[in-house]
Amino acid sequence: MICDECGRPATIRFVETVNGEMRVMQLCGECAGARGIGLSFAPLAGPIVNLLMGFLEEAGADEPVEAQGSACSECGLSYAEFRRTGKLGCAVCYTSFEKELRPLIRRINGSSRHTGKIPSKAPEDAESIREVRRLKLDLDRAVRGEEYERAAELRDQIRSLESAQCGGGDDGDV
Amino acid sequence: METFEQMLATPPSWLDASGPISNVVLSTRVRLARNLEGVPFPMRAGSSDLERVRDRALAAASAGNYLANALVLIVDEKAQSRRQILVERHLTGREFLGAGPGRAVIIGDGELVSAVINEEDHLRLACIKSGLMPMDAWRLVERLDTELEQNLHYAYSSDWGYLTSCPTNVGTGMRVSVLMHLVGLVRSNRIAQVLGSISKLGLSVRGFYGEKSAALGGFFQVSNQMTLGQSEDDIAYTVERVAGQLVSLELEARSELTKKGGHRIEDEVHRAYGILTSARIISSDEMMALCSSLRFGITEGFIDSVNLATANGLLVSTQPGHLKHFDGRDPGPDRRDRIRADLIRRELASGSRA
Ligand SMILES: [Zn+2]
Ligand SMILES: [Zn+2]
Repeated sequence: MICDECGRPATIRFVETVNGEMRVMQLCGECAGARGIGLSFAPLAGPIVNLLMGFLEEAGADEPVEAQGSACSECGLSYAEFRRTGKLGCAVCYTSFEKELRPLIRRINGSSRHTGKIPSKAPEDAESIREVRRLKLDLDRAVRGEEYERAAELRDQIRSLESAQCGGGDDGDV
Repeated sequence: METFEQMLATPPSWLDASGPISNVVLSTRVRLARNLEGVPFPMRAGSSDLERVRDRALAAASAGNYLANALVLIVDEKAQSRRQILVERHLTGREFLGAGPGRAVIIGDGELVSAVINEEDHLRLACIKSGLMPMDAWRLVERLDTELEQNLHYAYSSDWGYLTSCPTNVGTGMRVSVLMHLVGLVRSNRIAQVLGSISKLGLSVRGFYGEKSAALGGFFQVSNQMTLGQSEDDIAYTVERVAGQLVSLELEARSELTKKGGHRIEDEVHRAYGILTSARIISSDEMMALCSSLRFGITEGFIDSVNLATANGLLVSTQPGHLKHFDGRDPGPDRRDRIRADLIRRELASGSRA
């Protein structure tokens, strides 16, 4: 194995991404060092955070100017600072910047609704709100699959859960 | 309960090659990000807030079963060398190196479960298991989470799920990472193509060691990118399925390589073994490449005098922070490469199969 850079014996094979294209390289220790390929346990968040920053940059072009100047009512974090660091300041930031965050998070996840674990100390209706959401997804699937009997059943279940929620907390965005 | 020094005497138990598919998969890690209600996230919290979070989390951990007898490290400014070791053992992220006071790490037996307090989020709970075990690791860390939430009020919204400092973790707060040794795919030049198709499935891949998406020795980390909109079971299952496909491609590549040029590979892996057991100076780069060859030689049956657990353990014990600890001082680059070579020779001599 010969170094791609200098022709001396290579000790390292690695993969790098250049303009979205992956290529395999082999290098000697010296040339690898010169390229800044060190040995460490880098934080896993790296590439995912880069993805977020990319989306943030793209979104920036369409954002109204006032979004840039807004700040969280609870912790005072400005939206501009979030754009710079990719980190929010407190739980209330999710409400303060909801308009900007929702499309961003939808782009990363393909969804912006939690369907996973619910803490035992969550508000009591959290479980039933999630159940309604799940049933509506099932209903969608049943209608698409032309299973009309099942669809009617699901509709009844949704209706009874929603009336129990007194006004419901769901915006029907499913 | 172990002390920090006792913990360092052996590699983390998740490197012991006891889990399923250990020839390709070193370990599976599942972590959950959690924050406490009513307190700013660590980056914007003052020192009294951080201390309050730390004390509440420590109290919750000691009230439960999973971390009641665990090693608790209060990370203050003096403990810089300890931080480096925590990063190298995958107990905390690199950001932890520069963080101020108010931080703590709780480490369970064998480093299988752990909790990091006031890193990017108030709490990062993790379970690491040997081999390919996303479901098992998730189930275990879930039980720890359920136990802690009896005494902690998490920041949560029914809409967004668990609220996290970085929006890329919001929802489940769950990241499943599988550490794989894809040496066959690298050597047969199929790695770029295979990993390219992985990213289309919503998974991210990075080198286990090193920045800039570089992977040395064919050690890769495959993880879920999405944390919201799927249940935790679905996320664990997706990673398990994709990693399983990578395993079969890797095994295929390895068997083709040995069929086509077995004698060359046999020669190469024994050369690597020869250097590791004889050389007096070994850089960390060289170590990574040689360790990859050694593992390859063991799994393909060319080398039977060393077991897989010993080869895996070298990945952690030869890292700079560990060498500094073993040496009792900062050895500097030259001496570091010498004590690395000494340590490798010692480990390979004692880790030989009788
Ligand atoms: Zn070179
Ligand atoms: Zn805020």
